[in-house]
Parts: sequence; C-alpha cells; structure tokens
Amino acid sequence: MSRRETAVTWVVLLAAFLAAWSLASATLPVPPYFLPPPTAVAAAFVDLVAKGILPVYVMESLGRILLAAAVALVIAVPLGLLLGMSRGVADFMYPILNFFQSVSGIAWLPLMLVWFGFGEKTILIAVNYTVIFPVLFNALLGVRSVPRIYVNALRTLGGSRWRIVRDVMIPGALPNIATGMRLGLAYGWRALIAAEMLVGANGLGFMIFSAQSFHLTARIMLGMAVIGALWLLLDYFVLRPVEAATIARWGLVQR
Amino acid sequence: MTAKIAVRGLHHEYVNPFTRERVTALDGVDLEVPEGEFLSVVGPSGCGKSTLLGILAGLIQATRGEVLLDGRPVVGPGPDRGVVFQEFAILPWRTVERNIAHGLEIQGVPKAERATTVKRFVELVGLKGFERKYPHELSGGMKQRVAVARTLAANPQVMLMDEPFAAVDAQTRITLQEELNAIVQATRKTILFVTHNVEEAVFLGDRCCVLSRHPGRVKALVPVSIPRAQRTWKLFTSDHAFDATKERVLKLVREEVSGGEQV
Repeated sequence: MSRRETAVTWVVLLAAFLAAWSLASATLPVPPYFLPPPTAVAAAFVDLVAKGILPVYVMESLGRILLAAAVALVIAVPLGLLLGMSRGVADFMYPILNFFQSVSGIAWLPLMLVWFGFGEKTILIAVNYTVIFPVLFNALLGVRSVPRIYVNALRTLGGSRWRIVRDVMIPGALPNIATGMRLGLAYGWRALIAAEMLVGANGLGFMIFSAQSFHLTARIMLGMAVIGALWLLLDYFVLRPVEAATIARWGLVQR
Repeated sequence: MTAKIAVRGLHHEYVNPFTRERVTALDGVDLEVPEGEFLSVVGPSGCGKSTLLGILAGLIQATRGEVLLDGRPVVGPGPDRGVVFQEFAILPWRTVERNIAHGLEIQGVPKAERATTVKRFVELVGLKGFERKYPHELSGGMKQRVAVARTLAANPQVMLMDEPFAAVDAQTRITLQEELNAIVQATRKTILFVTHNVEEAVFLGDRCCVLSRHPGRVKALVPVSIPRAQRTWKLFTSDHAFDATKERVLKLVREEVSGGEQV
C-alpha cells in the first residue's frame, strides 16, 4: 500500500469505528455511564484541557517516564556495556538480569509499598526499575553480539582497548540498546500507569482510576486514548528517528 | 640479510570446543619470507594455514616456536602487520572513506593528510564515487576492496591476507586477483596470502608454500617464475609455465587431501 492508501484506509477505519461506537451507545439498553458516545469523550477532552487538568496530568506522567529514560541512558546503558565486555561476567549476569527483567515493576509494587510507602517514591522506583532492566540486559547482549572479527580487525590496525570500545563495541551494541530502550520504555509506560492507579495522586493513571469512582466513564476512555496516543507520538518522534539516523542507516536493521 | 618474516619451529595445539580433543594444527613450521615477496600459502582445509596467519598477525598465541618480523619477535597484533580477513571485517557503521581512514585515525595522522591518503587508496582500489556509502550498500567484492584499501592506507610493513576473495563470486574474484596483482606491482609490499585455491596461489605468488596436513608443516616451496607484468588471466590461461607450475602445486596439495582422508 502506498502512503496515501494507508492514510485513506486509516481514516475510513477510524470513521467506521466511531460510527459503530456512536450507534452502540445510542441504541444499547445500558445506562449512559456504561458506554458514553465518542462526542462525550471529545467533550471531556475539551473540558479537561480548558480546566488545565489534562495538560498537567500528561506532563506529570511524561515527566516520570522521561526521567526513567534518562536514568536508563545514563546508568543502565554504560553499566550494560561494561558488564558485557567480559564474557565471564556476562555469562554470570545473564540469568540474574533475565530474572529481574521478567519480574515486572508491577509485581514489585506490594513490596515497594511496604518499603517506600504510599507515594511518589514508590512510583518512581517501580518505573525506573521496569525501564532499567530491559535496557541493561539488552546493552549487555549487544556487546556480546558484536562480531569478534571487527575487534580483531581493529587490533591489527593497532587500536587500543578504549578505541575498540568506542569504535566497535558501542556502535555494534546500538541495535540492541535501541531495542532495549524501546522495550524498557514500553514496559515502563505500562508500569507507570499501573503505579499511578494504585498509589498516585496525579498523572494519567490516577486520572482514569479516580474517574471510575465517580462513574466518569468518558474521562476513563479519554485517559486510555491519551495513554496510547502519547506512546505513538513518543515512538514516532523520538525512538524511530534515533534508529533511522543510526542503525537503519548502517543497514543493521531492515525497514 | 635477515628475512622480513621468519617463522621458526612453530608448533600450535588447541582443544576443539565440540569434540574436546587436542588438535595439532601446526607441527614445526619453518619459513622465511624476504622483503617484497608475495608468498602464497596453500593447502587443503584443516592444514592450519589460517592458524599460521593468525599467529603471524598476533591474534593467536602459538604453543611453541617463534615469529620474527625484521628479526624482532612478534608478541601481539600491531599496525606493522596489516590483515585482510576472509569475512567482511569492515565496520558497517562507517562509510567507505571512514573505514579506509580508520588505521590512520588510530595512528593519529592529521585530518588533511588522512583525506589525501584515503583519496589515493580509494582510487587505487577503484572505489571512486562510493566514498560516502555504507558497507551494506556495497557488493561483496567492493567490501573486500575497502578492506584491502584500509589495510594498505595504514601502510603496514607486511600484509597478511586470509582467503580474502573466498566469499565473493567467481567473476569478481578474477577481477580482484588482477587488481591485487597491479597493487602488488605498485606498492611492492611483503605479502603472505593464504588460500585453498591453487590457481589463485600460483597466479598471485612469487612462491607457493604448500602445507601438509597431519601434521601441519611446510611440504614444499614452489617458485613461480612468471614476471608480474605478464600476470593477467587472459595470458595465464594459455601460458605453459603457469600450467606446469599449477599442475605441480595441485599434485602436492592433492597428495595431502587423499592422505588426509586415509587417516
């Protein structure tokens, strides 16, 4: 499909979906709060933006995930690279990191509540934890997956250890680091919403969970749509361009 | 006069990671390569020729024996010995020109001088117009041209080539061999060229070193007395001296292949 065809298909599908939703909302024998129409969600959007609530919640949630992304870049990437440099260390760390990567931040929440209390600290720790492990794990894998031949080529050119790290290991690990960042942030975004729902006093997760108590269903649906849309924007405008400028250009991933 | 490269009593054993058996790859190799010579090392697969090259490069530590470059023992890899590998070993994240410049960057050559040298070698290996391309945009033959240019640009004392043309198609290989021949004439580098292809070994070498298998030793050194200027495939296929030398080397290698199979 051409870009134009794709766009047209999307518009048609979206229109059909909204029409079906409106029809169901108007005809199904359920109370209004059970399935509000799309127009109610749009109204909730206008209302929350006008009151300034939605922008604040969005900034709070985005701020938390971006902080986690920064921590992952500054701490998890270098640490993963370092651990990956030695085969023995990497082999030893692999199952440990794999284990903690699979125990999601959400599963930690009950324990973190005991340790860090019912508040911001717990949210941040849970989200950072969730982002860091996939990034760490993939950075380590990335270093291990750099073909030995590139290292040998540089050694025969007289390259120092640091030179090999800078010119071979780091760029060679980048495809995995990119994968790790994408996975980590995707997991982290979900963990963030869940943590905000359980212990938050603000943010999108808090917004949709608290709306439930007041039967503000349109607000819940709006929150869900915003959560999905923000991820699409983050992926499209931040993660993909970074990939396109590096590993896609080098032919390390196929697009 | 001391040889450029001298190999004395080289012995190498390693443990096969799959069968866990001890394998003797090289068992007493003695070899001298004079300055400016192109020595082809030929032998059946498993004769230890790539191991020999790895030891010369300093990437493999020999069990016993020594390698001397200009009379000084080789202890590890170094820019005095440039290597062209069989696998495509240029970096995918560097453009053609930045790959070729890599050795010069490492040596700390100033940018302007680097650019001049790179330009010269880009032209020498016929990559003009491809300077800004990334390796994935190149054919296999072009990637190996980049690898050769990268090694030459760093100006090593000797060049070690490990079946560099084995992974490219037959047509390209012929072209690359003729190009290498031209480069050898232009640069007069001391080259050790490992191959399992007898024709290639004879076409390129001043001498062919035939390695035996079980144990890996120097079985014979066959001189190729054909002037370099006359070495084009068109002339070679009809050249009597080439045919005779090729048959002689082929016979020596074949003895090793059948000998190996009886074991």
